[in-house]
Amino acid sequence: MTDLTPQAPNRRESVPFWRDIRVLGVLAQIAFLIVVISGLAWVARNVTQNMSTLGGSQFLCRDGSSSVRCAFDFLQLDAQFAISESLIPYDPSDSYGRALLVGALNTIKVSSLGIVLATVLGTLTGIARLSSNWLISSVARWYVDIIRNTPLLLQLFFLFFAVILAFPPIREANQLFGLPIFLSQRGIDLPRIVMMPSFMTWLIFLVVGAALAAAVWWWLGRRERETERDANRPLWALLALLIVAVPGWFFASATAADTQGFLAPESSGITEFADVPEVVRAQLGLENLNELDAALDAGTVTQEQVDEATVTFCAVENSPPLTNMAAELNRANVPWAVERSRTPAAASADFAAGECQLLVSSRTALAGEQAALADVLPSTLIPLRELPVRLSVPRIEGLNFVGGIKLSPNFAAILIGLTVYTGAFIAEIVRAGIQSVAKGQSEAARALGLSESQRLRLVVLPQALRVIIPPLTSQYLNLTKNSSLAIAVGYPDLWSTAFTTLNQSGRAIQVFLIAMGTYLMFSLLISSFLNWYNRRVALVER
Amino acid sequence: MTTLYHNLQTFFRGDTGHFSWRHFLREHIFSSWWFAPWLLLLLYITVRVVAGQFAASPVVTAVVLIAWALTVMVTAVSNVLHRHTPLTFWLSNNLYNSITSAFISLLIVLLLIAGVRGFFGWAFVRASFVPDAEVAAQTLSQWEDPGANWGAVVDNFRNLMVFRFPREQDWRLWLLVLWNVLLLIPSTFVFSREVYRRSRVRRVLALLWVFTPVLAYLLLVGIGDGGPLPRLNPDTVWGGLLLTLIIAVFGIIASFPLGLLLALGRRSKIMGVPGWLTWLVVLPLTIYLVATRTVPGLREASGPGQILISLLPLLLPVAAYLFLRYFHGNVVALLSTIYIETVRGVPLITVLFMSIILFPIFLPPQMEVLSTWRVLAAVTFFAAAYLAENVRGGLQSIPKGQFEAADALGLGTARKYRLIVLPQALRAVIPAIVGQFIGLFKDTTLVETVGLIEFLGVANLISAQPDWLGVRREPYVFIAIVYFIGNFLMASYSRRLERQLGVGER
Amino acid sequence: MEQTHIPDHTHKHSHAGKTDDIIICRDVHKWYGEFEALKGVSMTVKRGEVVVIIGPSGSGKSTFIRTINRLEEHQEGEIIVDGITLSHDIRNIAEIRREVGMVFQQFNLFPHLTVLENVMLAPIHVRKWDRDHAHERAMHWLNRVGIPEQADKYPGQLSGGQQQRVAIARTLCMEPHILMFDEPTSALDPEMIKEVLDVMRDLAVSGYTILAVTHEMGFARTVADRVIFMDGGYIVEENTPDDFFANPKSERTKLFLSQILSH
Repeated sequence: MTDLTPQAPNRRESVPFWRDIRVLGVLAQIAFLIVVISGLAWVARNVTQNMSTLGGSQFLCRDGSSSVRCAFDFLQLDAQFAISESLIPYDPSDSYGRALLVGALNTIKVSSLGIVLATVLGTLTGIARLSSNWLISSVARWYVDIIRNTPLLLQLFFLFFAVILAFPPIREANQLFGLPIFLSQRGIDLPRIVMMPSFMTWLIFLVVGAALAAAVWWWLGRRERETERDANRPLWALLALLIVAVPGWFFASATAADTQGFLAPESSGITEFADVPEVVRAQLGLENLNELDAALDAGTVTQEQVDEATVTFCAVENSPPLTNMAAELNRANVPWAVERSRTPAAASADFAAGECQLLVSSRTALAGEQAALADVLPSTLIPLRELPVRLSVPRIEGLNFVGGIKLSPNFAAILIGLTVYTGAFIAEIVRAGIQSVAKGQSEAARALGLSESQRLRLVVLPQALRVIIPPLTSQYLNLTKNSSLAIAVGYPDLWSTAFTTLNQSGRAIQVFLIAMGTYLMFSLLISSFLNWYNRRVALVER
Repeated sequence: MTTLYHNLQTFFRGDTGHFSWRHFLREHIFSSWWFAPWLLLLLYITVRVVAGQFAASPVVTAVVLIAWALTVMVTAVSNVLHRHTPLTFWLSNNLYNSITSAFISLLIVLLLIAGVRGFFGWAFVRASFVPDAEVAAQTLSQWEDPGANWGAVVDNFRNLMVFRFPREQDWRLWLLVLWNVLLLIPSTFVFSREVYRRSRVRRVLALLWVFTPVLAYLLLVGIGDGGPLPRLNPDTVWGGLLLTLIIAVFGIIASFPLGLLLALGRRSKIMGVPGWLTWLVVLPLTIYLVATRTVPGLREASGPGQILISLLPLLLPVAAYLFLRYFHGNVVALLSTIYIETVRGVPLITVLFMSIILFPIFLPPQMEVLSTWRVLAAVTFFAAAYLAENVRGGLQSIPKGQFEAADALGLGTARKYRLIVLPQALRAVIPAIVGQFIGLFKDTTLVETVGLIEFLGVANLISAQPDWLGVRREPYVFIAIVYFIGNFLMASYSRRLERQLGVGER
Repeated sequence: MEQTHIPDHTHKHSHAGKTDDIIICRDVHKWYGEFEALKGVSMTVKRGEVVVIIGPSGSGKSTFIRTINRLEEHQEGEIIVDGITLSHDIRNIAEIRREVGMVFQQFNLFPHLTVLENVMLAPIHVRKWDRDHAHERAMHWLNRVGIPEQADKYPGQLSGGQQQRVAIARTLCMEPHILMFDEPTSALDPEMIKEVLDVMRDLAVSGYTILAVTHEMGFARTVADRVIFMDGGYIVEENTPDDFFANPKSERTKLFLSQILSH
């Protein structure tokens, strides 16, 4: 028996090393490595040669010597160039390092906003592509086809030069759909939500309301388990929240009423807020201030008369009372103007000097002011209605919009451009993802009695996302990289500030290393998320 | 006709229980709590839009409204009677699938008509087509809201196409175009029919295609100062659509060899450099660098930046560890991966600027290279990384059995790839490569930022011409149309190819 | 382990006006555009009855049972399931879908969920059971169909027969009174058909009302209380299985049976 078992060779057959597949592999790689390294060495030698002809300023140290060690010392030098918009305080006397940081933050800002907006737009368009209504799906398809087949840079130029810069001048700004959104050569102005001091009171109600909603949710959940019937939990929870939040809104508004107010000179005869529109109305000789625009058009009231009747008030800039007063006056359709001051003292001084008719501030400050001015300018303190949340609406003052959120033309162009472009690509991804879910899945979900929202949430979406997320992430990556085209429309993103830094400092290699390294880092962050997600959701197959 | 009468009667009277308004309302409008508010909102928007459009163009809006109402009624009756003409069948499936769908269809039609009217008014009615600036200005001034000034495009048509290419050398371009068209026509069927699989025609055509780049170089650049093909300076004479096409076509073709090698390199499974050998090199090198750089560097360092730079040599062992751990000592895969991921991780615009600013520093001082060549090189290096990933996708789609069969036949690595793997993989990635070409064609616009005057660059120059000051929309629209047609055709071709590849032959 | 679970209809959901007929269809019409798929189908199914519908492909039999739980909308006629009239009202539809379980030809298991999660999904989200209860019931039904050991696998890892048994367990876990099978064995390999038919047979004797579209004549012959033959959107013939197979009345039935039984 033992004779038949094959004998293991007692020594390994010796292979000459030049035929050993392993040795050959290593040798080939070493040869490859030598070629690559000598190529790099050649480049390095050229660089040093070019440096010596260009002058050694590239690696200048602070003590005047020159060393590779000091390659990045220039980051501490003064940048001496201005950046038009920044998330952090910056001025030209700051360093190159800070300038680059400003650029990087701007890139993050436009990319992250762009990613959110493009995802929303793309998802809606992707769903529209699948609509059973032929017109909706055709319009969506045309949008996708046109955008995907033309260059992004062309779209950006068109948007910036031929659309945004061709908007009317600021005085004739376009209003979108009658909403407080203004399009002008100076960019796009949107309303902004401002929280008033009384918001804190309301917040307490919101928290209590949320707690009540949670309790209702839990209680209905128990009932659902008992009755085995759906109890429409979202609706009742929402109602529970509202039942606390809505009275809370009025309560906060009512209790806060005496924290803000305005001073009116006794001579003006104004004793409560309602007198303000009344005075203006009487002055203009109108039945109702709502007819003001019509009267202006008809010519029964002239612009001069309106200017004359305009209510001017003094307030500290960006202060809650100002927003509050502005909102109240807008509500009453009163033409108004504001004298902005940096400090409460300056505002009071303006008021005392008669530059405005009313002084708007917090009530405690006003009470002191009222006492101080008692002899010079006797005045009445009138409480101002306050709402926990106010909308700050953009309004033309002088040559600019004041209030709200301002998108510069450059930022608007790059943001809208990136959103529209990437949205078209995302639409195709979303469409393919939804179509990848077999029809039988929806039928099975329906047959089991799942509601439409449950079907989407529990069955369709998880399967579609698996198909959607990988290409979606690479679109996010593309959007981030494409944000470097901001330089074409003058938005100071990372590449734009890096390029200016390069031109000013002359440190070409270092600036390229920093800029490309930062983009690479963004890319690696996004793609490592992709890998993580892919591993998490990989479908198990037989 | 009796059935029709009978059916209509039941529709309106509901006496047989088939139809009643109460039933209809309960089931179609109030069956879920959100539907009624949504319908009201939609109705409100529709009324607003209809009113707005009616004020702008009463006749058209009225016609649309009447047509809509009629078709909706006819479709509804057809649905109730289950008697369809092809038109009503299509309408009930595509435009009037539901109550909301019918309103949305009306909305979209009205808005589309408004949009198309606006565009046609601008592009044709209130437009001027005269290439003479003064006449154009006169024509346009008669309108309160002047339309397009197409004269700028007509006047600059040559600039847009070839920019400064010398007029007397135009025949070279025509010859090149002719050559390509003459080759393309027979190629389309010779390469798609099985009959020609082994024929000589196919080989001759392939050879002629291989010769095309040489011809293109001779015609576009030329040789010598005298003679029939005088040398042209690409930096000054190439421009417009010509330059765009040169860059895109050159980029995709020239990146092919590098991209293929990178793809194979990244997937290579060759036996790696053993750990002991790696450490034998890395450790002494680290010690040497730490001694000569880090120690004196730290001593003289001022500021965190300098300290960081001095500490760089310490990363060497970390890199070596990662290299052994994730690449098993495979240098080729390592370098290919680093190249591909780095290039794909940075924006093209930085690579283009690198070609303009850094390439001169990387090259010997006496060597001067035209910026066109540098940009072409940059585009090639950039495209190669993306191409490598496409090819890698194709390689991954080849079943393992194919590799094993080739190994079992004893083909050897080179022949395995040349005869078995690559023919299949490359076929599979043709659609992806067409897609990449479309992307590259679009991305070529970026070379404008580094000072080459390509298609879009010419458009921007037009708006600076004294005659056509500020005329931007028209050339942009023209360029968009050219890009759209080109890319749309290529994309549909690629989709068709994808279907063909998916269905047969594989 | 409980082996027989007979759903207790009489106590739980008894309300006035309910008859012994659990499914009533009256003159059901269904059009796809101009094509009339169902041309007035009327039939009733009694509580606990096992009805098998057979017919050539395109005869409207699948469409018919899919109208009963509103996977397809019928345009005319009346469908009453367990006393609930099927209408556009989503509450009625939801109610009926809870009463009626359905097993599909292509299984339609959710590939992103494990077997157990597949079975537990609807009880938790539709029947509002708590997790523990749902888990316990799900394991019970997986035991019943004989694959408790596969609970934590994904559908993609199972054979066709196992997948179909999971689909049956998923349906049963909702505790429906009526089970509908839409060609449950057509997508299976021959050796797996038996394991699924065994489960179905087991359910038939447990007292469920069953409405099955199938080509398994053996099942129809031995298990069904009644066989319905559909063709061209009509019910052509209905009879007890013995009579149906022994002496079919209509010519079309004879032709169909000869075609199907000859090979």
